[in-house]
Amino acid sequence: MSLLREAERCFANQGSHAALNALITTLHQSGQWLERVKDADARRTRGTPKSKVDGRLIAFKDNICTRDLPTTCASNTLDKFISPFNATVVQQLQDAGALIAGKANLDEFGMGSHSIHSKFGPVRSLRCDHDAESLSAGGSSGGSAVAVATAQCYASLGTDTGGSVRLPAAYTGTVGFKPSYGLVSRWGVVAYANSLDTVGVLGSDVSSVRNVFDIVNQHDPRDPTNLSPSSRSRIDSHLRMPALASRVTSSLKIGIPLEYNISELAPSSRRAWSRSLAYLRQQGHTLHTVSLPTTKLALSAYYVLAPAEASSNLAKYDGVRYGNRPEGPDNITSTEGCLYANTRGEGFGSEVKRRILLGAFSLSADSMDNYFIQAQRIRRLVQHDFNAVFRACQPLNSPGLGKNLDSGEAGVDVLVCPTAPSPPPRISSLMGHGATTSSLEAYVNDIFTVPASLAGLPAISVPVTTGSAKNSEDSDLAGIQVIGQYGDDGLVLKVAELLEGKHL
Amino acid sequence: MLRPWLRQCPRATRSLACSQCHLPRPQFTRRTLNPRSLSQPIRTLQTTAAESPDRVPLRKQLKQDAKAVKARKRQTRENEEASRQKWELTVGIEIHAQLNTESKLFSRAPTSSTDLPNSNVALFDLAFPGTQPEFQIATLLPALRAALALNCDIQPVSRFDRKHYFYQDQPAGYQITQYYEPFAKNGYVDLFAHDGIAPEDGDMVRIGIKQVQMEQDTAKSQEYPPSTQLLDFNRVSHPLVEIITMPQIHTPATAAACVRKIQSILQACNAVTTGMELGGLRADVNVSIRQRGDAAGAHQYGGISGLGQRTEIKNLSSFKAVEDAIIAEKNRQIAVLESGGVVAGETRGWTIGSTETRKLRGKEGEVDYRYMPDPDLPPLYIGADLVTELRNTLPTSSDALIELLAGPDYGLPLEDAKPLVELEDGARLEYYQEVVDLLRALQQDQGPKAQKGLARVAGNWVLHELGGLLTKADLAWDGERVPAPTLAALIDQLQRQRITGPTAKQVLAMVFDGDARPIPQLLEEENLLLRPLSREEYVALAEAAINLNPAMVEQIRQKNQLGKLGWFVGQMMRMGEKGRVEAPKADAILRELILEGRS
Repeated sequence: MSLLREAERCFANQGSHAALNALITTLHQSGQWLERVKDADARRTRGTPKSKVDGRLIAFKDNICTRDLPTTCASNTLDKFISPFNATVVQQLQDAGALIAGKANLDEFGMGSHSIHSKFGPVRSLRCDHDAESLSAGGSSGGSAVAVATAQCYASLGTDTGGSVRLPAAYTGTVGFKPSYGLVSRWGVVAYANSLDTVGVLGSDVSSVRNVFDIVNQHDPRDPTNLSPSSRSRIDSHLRMPALASRVTSSLKIGIPLEYNISELAPSSRRAWSRSLAYLRQQGHTLHTVSLPTTKLALSAYYVLAPAEASSNLAKYDGVRYGNRPEGPDNITSTEGCLYANTRGEGFGSEVKRRILLGAFSLSADSMDNYFIQAQRIRRLVQHDFNAVFRACQPLNSPGLGKNLDSGEAGVDVLVCPTAPSPPPRISSLMGHGATTSSLEAYVNDIFTVPASLAGLPAISVPVTTGSAKNSEDSDLAGIQVIGQYGDDGLVLKVAELLEGKHL
Repeated sequence: MLRPWLRQCPRATRSLACSQCHLPRPQFTRRTLNPRSLSQPIRTLQTTAAESPDRVPLRKQLKQDAKAVKARKRQTRENEEASRQKWELTVGIEIHAQLNTESKLFSRAPTSSTDLPNSNVALFDLAFPGTQPEFQIATLLPALRAALALNCDIQPVSRFDRKHYFYQDQPAGYQITQYYEPFAKNGYVDLFAHDGIAPEDGDMVRIGIKQVQMEQDTAKSQEYPPSTQLLDFNRVSHPLVEIITMPQIHTPATAAACVRKIQSILQACNAVTTGMELGGLRADVNVSIRQRGDAAGAHQYGGISGLGQRTEIKNLSSFKAVEDAIIAEKNRQIAVLESGGVVAGETRGWTIGSTETRKLRGKEGEVDYRYMPDPDLPPLYIGADLVTELRNTLPTSSDALIELLAGPDYGLPLEDAKPLVELEDGARLEYYQEVVDLLRALQQDQGPKAQKGLARVAGNWVLHELGGLLTKADLAWDGERVPAPTLAALIDQLQRQRITGPTAKQVLAMVFDGDARPIPQLLEEENLLLRPLSREEYVALAEAAINLNPAMVEQIRQKNQLGKLGWFVGQMMRMGEKGRVEAPKADAILRELILEGRS
């Protein structure tokens, strides 16, 4: 299929699936994209494409800054905001010939697990349950996931702070990849929790995800948390050591984290997990149970650390230099008696306010030691847990510090586990008067995704189907997560490829 | 510019201040060597006006006023002393100083604050969504120089933290600072008597520096009540150092001396842009008191326990404000405690010229800054090699310079050494050094005894004679006005007794006013070289002078009124050829003729 044909189909799908509310800003009929895609087609015909994504339409989560389109973060405070610059990832993909398919809907500032906390209304998944009830698209990159699932774009970029790319991928049947922290530039990505925020890629298959990842996996000096060229080459030479290089051809050691087998695990999720493991064993790989004892604490630590950073990052939205600001004075003399009370009160939605308050509390002088510091300790323990089970060591740890040598023969190459503990809930159960799920319950959906975020590890969610092959009514779609050691992004993508789209 | 040191430098004060009220020397104003000297203002008019009879009552009035002020001051001093005997004051200081850097702390925007408002601002400085800090390594250099000059231990690893509060001048809603792990700790600053410390602190006190940290400055805001604020973000994120002293200061004067000394140290090592007078340096002070000999107080600050409840006075912008605010706050706290009250831990403000500090916010209104490590900024690793290099290239400290100048090599009085080091950021000292070097070279043929005094003589000419001319003309320092080789040549002529002292001063004034002729040529052409008079010529002059006023001769002889000899010396100078009559010789001849003749 020509690139033009593909782009035109994406454009048509954006129109026909508008009701899903996946995109906040869409392609325009008259936009320049048509000409650019035609140019790319011409380059492709000549055999000189700019890259594998030349002429492809890529949707960007609306917390990734674009110069030409608004960047709203799905927030009232930024609903007309246009950034004066492109995020590095946008620039990199445009330089590679890709086009902006639109700006994807999300939970405000990335805070949420179902993409329902948006100023522009909730994202709807194409999937329905047996009673034809709309299901959650997952969040917070739900718009990016639905746009991919309904072919409104070739692939999309999301952000993953505690699972925000992987969870919607699992709920929508797409592939969602969170690379190792520091590989992809965050310059121009609106911060939610800087130490966790990772730009991730969503696609209909692993190869499209890899094509996009290869473009954005580059050093960017403007992001101080981005890996330097020297760190990147350290990781490369580490992975070229014979013991690790041989994994590409030999059988892999697959780790099964015992602590992920929780009692709340939905039967369909457990079935997808066990059948995926069985399939991998059939393919000649070996299975090994491992223990990650700090897993249970990870979710609590995440919901202390992420809101703490969020409360700090979101302090800048005061309506003074950009963003919305209500009429009239908003200073100490106003009725509320607090500087910016009106601007921030009207600018933020309830979930964002909740997390700002949580964060402000855990950072306050009397709580700091008991919450923030403790959570950082847990975060360190989570990292130790992972380092203890992987065959490869954390390549950036300086040698001679604690347990740093490879776990040797005892260690596993990747961990395989469910992405979410249960299938997507109905949107009606999450919103409005029918809501039966509290915020706290929504947080539980992140239980399997948060540990890899805390440790900065590469993790991917791939869709697998279980049940009767003949009767799709009885079959269940679930996301299976593959987690690798830091820097082992290539291996994680490879294992994902083994599983993707399998009917087990 | 001179004011900061004038107070502690009586000699310089005298010579510089007096030169303003002196009548211009006749030869100075009468010379018409170039157009510039014509335009010299004539200052005699003012002094004569003050002498007119109808102003006398005013003078009396002024005298009485001065007396009253003196009495009040004495009373205040006595009260202060009495309360000092009973109460011990403890002060700690936080100083914020703008670092001398080209770029901001976390962006490449230039730091210039004189440009058009909001012209030097990067996206990060405005806290635009999606922007990240880019630590500018070069900003570390002046910060390290400052910390080393304050004798701190440089920390191999330090970190940046966010200090949260909402204010218009703080675009991100937080300031990036170094709260948990600052880059420098455990320094000290030595304060000497000549630094202006309180007499009760003796010759020297050492004040510990708890830590030095790097942080961002805020924007400038201009208020237009009731609800308009104009913001200039040029200053936002200008690199600052915050210097926190230990609470080891016990007198207001010493606190002011400490701020003054730290400013001069920062300026000497070129770490800061401007001083307090231009807003480049601001101080907050923590003040507490406790009764002497009493049970220890319940509070602990900076690791020092047993202190009283402290209050903080924010944003003091002059040395005098530091001293005055501490005195006022100390007296307020004493009054509170003596009336049975309790000092509340609160933040207070000070307005210049007032007599009381005022409450800004109490403990209940205290901001919880919610310090958090900045998750975008990696730790700051400072290598030992960099520290060593900077330590080796640090300019000599002013303490060491003063010691050197006051020592045997230069032999300057302490009150001359200090201004020489401090004036014009060291430019005067450089000039002085050049004059001394040149002069020593010129005087190489002289004996060691003559050599020894040269530095002291040069000090007098650079500081007092040249300084006096500058003050009189109301001009800023310019080392090129009288080039160092010219001054050295002039002093050389004087030392060789080829010219008299008054001639040397006259020539200096001519050069100062633009005479560019080389000194030997100038002396030759103006006929200023000393051609010594013979004994016969002196005797003839003396006799002529004596004949003018024989009555006075009798008074000297009869009543031994030797002071009147000076009048005759003056007459001889006036009658003789200008620049040839040497006062000591004239005096000797007069004594011989008048006194020896009486027996």
